[in-house]
Amino acid sequence: MAQITLKSVSKSWAAVTAVHNVDLRIEDEEFMVFLGPSGCGKTTTMRMIAGLTELSSGEIWIDDELVNDIDPRDRDVAMVFQSYALYPNMTVYENIRFPLRMRGVKRRQQAALVQKAADMVELGDYLHRKPGALSGGQRQRAALARAIVRHPRAFLMDEPLSNLDAKLRSSMRVQLKRVQKQLKITTVYVTHDQVEAMTLADRIVIMNHGEIQQIGTPDEIYNNPQNTFVAGFIGSPPMNLLSGRIENGHFIAAGIHVDLTPATAADTSDITLGIRPEDLGVVKTHSPHITGQLYGIEPTGDVTFLSVKTDDSIIEVKADRDFRQALDSDIAIQLDTTRLYFFDPHTGLRIQS
Amino acid sequence: MRYIILLTWALFCLAPVLWFLSIGFRPRTEIITPQPIYFPTFSLDAWQMIWHDWPMASYLRNSVLAIIGSVVIDLVLAIPAAYSLARYSYRGRDDIGFYILSTRMMAPAIVAIPIFFLFRNLGLLDTVWALMLVFAAVNLSLVTWIIRSYMLDLPHEIEDAARTDGASDLSILVLIIIPVCAPGIITASVIAAIFAINEFFFTLLIASTQNSYTLSVALANFTGGSDGIIYNAIALVAFLAFAPVFLLVLAIQHHLSRGLTMGAVKG
Repeated sequence: MAQITLKSVSKSWAAVTAVHNVDLRIEDEEFMVFLGPSGCGKTTTMRMIAGLTELSSGEIWIDDELVNDIDPRDRDVAMVFQSYALYPNMTVYENIRFPLRMRGVKRRQQAALVQKAADMVELGDYLHRKPGALSGGQRQRAALARAIVRHPRAFLMDEPLSNLDAKLRSSMRVQLKRVQKQLKITTVYVTHDQVEAMTLADRIVIMNHGEIQQIGTPDEIYNNPQNTFVAGFIGSPPMNLLSGRIENGHFIAAGIHVDLTPATAADTSDITLGIRPEDLGVVKTHSPHITGQLYGIEPTGDVTFLSVKTDDSIIEVKADRDFRQALDSDIAIQLDTTRLYFFDPHTGLRIQS
Repeated sequence: MRYIILLTWALFCLAPVLWFLSIGFRPRTEIITPQPIYFPTFSLDAWQMIWHDWPMASYLRNSVLAIIGSVVIDLVLAIPAAYSLARYSYRGRDDIGFYILSTRMMAPAIVAIPIFFLFRNLGLLDTVWALMLVFAAVNLSLVTWIIRSYMLDLPHEIEDAARTDGASDLSILVLIIIPVCAPGIITASVIAAIFAINEFFFTLLIASTQNSYTLSVALANFTGGSDGIIYNAIALVAFLAFAPVFLLVLAIQHHLSRGLTMGAVKG
């Protein structure tokens, strides 16, 4: 149970800057997810919190303690790795017991604590097995039990579910969130999977090129993206970003004409319009916002994804589950004008109206 | 068909062993006769001779002590060295690693005289202690490199996990790295033992009496003197030197093949 504070934290190796000037405060009991593409610095940031990677500059505080120069073993944080990192020479029982043994917990208490942690992840029947004799999901749960067993100040999880198959991943996600809420332990979770981030997080930190792009709750991140990176990263398919201009309160681009009244943006010759695929709909009016050809159609069962080709871009649309139309036929799209986002095309920053 | 090929190959490999066993248990006169003998006579003459007329027990004891001692010294030095070379980064690490390996490239004759004087000054000439040290020194580089290449293949996460779990560097080495590297360590030990039991040059330099004669040098004793070359005794002593290593390798061959391929192929 702890508050983790990062103050101007940077990390660089020779010419490469992995993390640049990160300021962040993770509240007590919070489930914080670091989300970003690979190489964005999220894992490096977590390893710095764990003490496995040294900082180039800045400060990391856990509660009231500056931990920059404190050894990982004295930070009292537990880490769960993508590769599970179980000790192959020990049984599951010995693996879970290892942190207790290293911390000098009395032998008599060890057995009860190990059993409790193993039960919590439903692994009680496998304690005598070696990691080699476990399935992927069981190994992941063993790694989780090893982190749980000593009630650390914080959990640090580095893509813990990415080696599991899709079905197992979603059930582990539920289990992970339950365990975290039961134990009330501050958790930092690294992933590149936005579904994991949206479903697990109290708050999400979106990173790119070693810098924080936005911090917020899943709703804030989704409904109120601060820049084109966040807008284009979150959502499946992500937000459409269309370049065009605004004239007399109308957004205009090739094949696109949107009346913005009541005006939401000032006239400009250069702007990026963002709109989510679910805020677009196929219509049969005479003056639609967008006209183009059907470039691709992907029925998924509950929804049909359309790619609509205009003169100079391809727009993703979420249509009804039973929508069907021939490829390359003309299609008209209407958009929900209350759900538009405008971005500066040069800085990528959101233009608030 | 496969079995016929394998059987032929096995016979081809075992034939010399069976042959010198058969020499060892036949009377001396029968071995050197020019006519072929179809029904050899079984005789324990040579067996009794090597145990009664020669201090075979001391040769055997010297060999065993020198080999075990040298392997223990190698492991005590090589495991921490290999771990350091595989895991810590510091200036000149790769150069140090190469230097250690390069000691293996030296022709033994170059260091023969310095080693002789070194042990004479230490008062260790003609002792098993000197043999242990020399065998250990000869094999150290190889043992270090085999263990190092095995350690290089271990995933870093295991140590990171142990470190956040609260383990010190020493606990990580003792509780995790050494058990996980056991196949590599066993492979290195067996190879070092085989080199040690076959070592002749330095043993001849250091040993001058039965105080420190090992089996390999003792063999040479049967070729001179008033009795001429005593073939059946040589065969038996050679077999005594060969058998323990052969059995050891058989017993651990599973580990051995894993250990030898480990460095080459990423698992």
